[in-house]
Amino acid sequence: MNEMKKTVITLNVNNETYELVAYPNRTLLEVLRDDLHLTGTKESCGEGVCGSCTVLVDGTPVRSCLTLAVAVQGKEITTIEGLRVGEKLHPVQEAFVNHHAIQCGFCSPGMILTSYALLKEDPRPTEAAIRRALSGNICRCTGYAKIVEAVKSLAEEGK
Amino acid sequence: MEKFAYIGKDMKRIDTTCKATGEAVFSADLTLPRMLVGKVLRSPHAHARIVAINPAKAEKLYGVKAVVTAKDTCGDKWGVFKYTQDQQFLPTEKVRYVGEEVAAVAAVDEDSALEALSLIEVTYEVLPAVYTIEDALAPGAPQLHDVYPNNINVHIVIDVGDVEKGFTDSYLVREDTFTAPEDSYFQGEPYAVTAQFDHAGNLEIWMPNAGPHLKAKPLSNVLKIPLNKVRVRKITIGGSFGGRSEISPADVICAFLAKKAQRPVKIVYSREENTVCTRQAHSMITKIKTGVDKEGRVVARDITCHMDGGAYSSTGPIATSVPFLCMEQAYRMENVRYNGYRVLTNKPIRGMFRTHGRGFACGVDIQLDRIGETMGIDPLTMRLRNARQTGDTTPTKSYVASCGLTETIEKTGKMSRWAEKFGKLPPYHGIGIGCNSVQTGFPMGIRGGSQAFIKLNEDGGVTVITGIVDNGQGNDHMIVQIAAEELGLTPDDVQLITADTEVTPSDPGSYSMCETFVGGNAVRLAAQDVKKKLFKIAATELGVGEEELSARNRKIFVTNNPQQTMSIAKAVRIALSRNESISGEGSYWPNVDGKREWVKNPFGQLSETFSFGTVICEVKVDPETGQVEVLTVTASQDVGYALNPKVIEGQFEGGVAMGGQGGMLTEYLQWHEGRVLTPTQLGYLVPLAIDMPKINTIIVETIDPNGPYGAKEAGMSVAMSAAQAYCGAISNAVGVYFHEYPITPDKILKAIEEKKKRAG
Repeated sequence: MNEMKKTVITLNVNNETYELVAYPNRTLLEVLRDDLHLTGTKESCGEGVCGSCTVLVDGTPVRSCLTLAVAVQGKEITTIEGLRVGEKLHPVQEAFVNHHAIQCGFCSPGMILTSYALLKEDPRPTEAAIRRALSGNICRCTGYAKIVEAVKSLAEEGK
Repeated sequence: MEKFAYIGKDMKRIDTTCKATGEAVFSADLTLPRMLVGKVLRSPHAHARIVAINPAKAEKLYGVKAVVTAKDTCGDKWGVFKYTQDQQFLPTEKVRYVGEEVAAVAAVDEDSALEALSLIEVTYEVLPAVYTIEDALAPGAPQLHDVYPNNINVHIVIDVGDVEKGFTDSYLVREDTFTAPEDSYFQGEPYAVTAQFDHAGNLEIWMPNAGPHLKAKPLSNVLKIPLNKVRVRKITIGGSFGGRSEISPADVICAFLAKKAQRPVKIVYSREENTVCTRQAHSMITKIKTGVDKEGRVVARDITCHMDGGAYSSTGPIATSVPFLCMEQAYRMENVRYNGYRVLTNKPIRGMFRTHGRGFACGVDIQLDRIGETMGIDPLTMRLRNARQTGDTTPTKSYVASCGLTETIEKTGKMSRWAEKFGKLPPYHGIGIGCNSVQTGFPMGIRGGSQAFIKLNEDGGVTVITGIVDNGQGNDHMIVQIAAEELGLTPDDVQLITADTEVTPSDPGSYSMCETFVGGNAVRLAAQDVKKKLFKIAATELGVGEEELSARNRKIFVTNNPQQTMSIAKAVRIALSRNESISGEGSYWPNVDGKREWVKNPFGQLSETFSFGTVICEVKVDPETGQVEVLTVTASQDVGYALNPKVIEGQFEGGVAMGGQGGMLTEYLQWHEGRVLTPTQLGYLVPLAIDMPKINTIIVETIDPNGPYGAKEAGMSVAMSAAQAYCGAISNAVGVYFHEYPITPDKILKAIEEKKKRAG
């Protein structure tokens, strides 16, 4: 049995406010997936290596498996579910689909959010910068070629 | 008008939008009302007798709803073949590797489940264990199973022609040994399974799988319920790479927990469990003796390979055969002997892997390079002189209906500027080539064929029902492309019900590269069945013969007078009003020799057709650090016909990453006795975006006579050739041939040092 005391946690996720009661050792990943049912965020390694659980906290990519939910109260959290507007895919999502950057899709949410954050910071990154930025996200299927192509297509458009 | 509307075109895959938005549901994403958390207790010992298991304290813990031990599974065993049924779902007498399942619990939350595991009392009598092929084969070695004397699980013997005479007749003979340790799948998605029973005793179960029917049969056996009560459901799958075809003890355990608790249960593996307790790839020691004539053509070859299979058979007979079979397909060899041994050790279980046999294929290819060097023949020419050709028959008697290997060698050589580079590059700069061939399925008993159904709606739309599985490679889209093409519909008009054992008919599953060839052909035949029925109706209405009709853009039209049309929807409505059945059915059984058996009779048609690939790699080696910088890779495959070229490029690129970049530079499991020291991505180095070189891809099309539209398979021959190209390039750069894989910086530095010493 968990001997800690539960605490009230208030999170702003995808521009919505959620209030929940949880143990303070709950990770952001656990809260997103198990409590808020935002299962687009994936767990692959659980130790901050693979990038599958990447979400944005105030626009910066973080590993939600290494982030405590209590630590990101008052910050803007964006998950993959928060990227598209209505039925319209975000241009990064669209580029991943159009350029065949997705195979099994397990790493895609994290990969897309990392790419989104890169392009916000540097709208015209070089290929080397793209590869560097994506090197915290492991993909086992694609060999990264089409993922880099997808991000490059946006870099060229300055989107 | 173009011949095809969708086939052969770069098309966006139908399954990727929901993966980009996070909507795609993987097994661990499922939540069911009143669902419990399942956890598995695992053996801490590599080899031990189970004296007693006492779950009483765990059962009494608050929040625990079910505990499962071997008592529940009655000691039932599983094996891919009747003669390899050696793995109990939960062991009754012995554990044989660190991580083997011993018991399991289902509780209301994870903390309670973990606490319950710690309360299960297991008394072990620890036994001596073996951790290497050599130790397992040593006289007096501890034995893992009574039924496999000397720990030899499988022995494959193939002896064709007169090998000894071949060596006598050879101009040059050489013998070398090549080794590679275990590698690992590292699918993005860790294994997960969710199960529930309904009031009538029907099991619903979700897990990543390469074939739902392959999961359903053993579940039916162990649960002692008929197959129509086992409903393996479709779910998004986060990669397989050959590793998710068999039943997992987790599937059985989860079903038993759900049955006992009468509540849904979900088990989600940790990364470590995925690495240790699903499947790993075999380590190998391969001894190869090859004799060639004056032109470098192989006259005789004798190969002995020992594979470390871990604790149980798994797909042992297949795994022991396939590396040899790939190479006998790729290269001509008339006199050939193969002795393949799968040896049991107290290590996790080994299965088929996408790049199964890097320590084998590299041996064959690197030895060709060495022989060529002695004779003054460059590696590319050595490949051309030995390349398999269309119309050949392999040593084990498979007819090769189409083969573009020579074309892949020539085109890859041209694009990579081989002739300008080989032997002319600066020091520590090298280029290498690898070739291989894979099957498109093989004899699989009653599971060898695929069937498909097509149902029509009154608006002309269809639902295709097939057992084809998509592990992430794009098979779902392939089904839609074929159905839309044949029926003259748009991809939006085609819905799928796939990979669900309650609804979809038998299919081999997504392994052995058979889904395009076998499943794709079945879907095509089902669509042609529908089309025939629709054309019959349209022909009467339009006053022409059925053979005069075509279909495209939701319309049936007279081929020579495209203005004369009828909508497909109208044809469907006419059929409905006349009570005419227009549903479609198709089934495809590949032309393989049903009498062929892996151990007892390894002769006859193995697969209806084969793909062939070539990879050329160019590298720079830093002599100070031993680091390899890969400059470019050029990958080419005879795919038969490219149904969706961008999908194929993606398979080539992924194959180069896994087989070459990872397989030859960084990927191997590290051990302390039977314990994996590098079970996560922290220690097991999967390639990153920054590691990967530029990859050029060349698609070669030979239009296979029986593949759907001439297609074969989409990239495995590249994945199986990449390691050799990397190895050849590094060997060429350093001036030393490497026989131990992967080629890590320490091995490179040592080779450079020894070379300098030799030079004095």
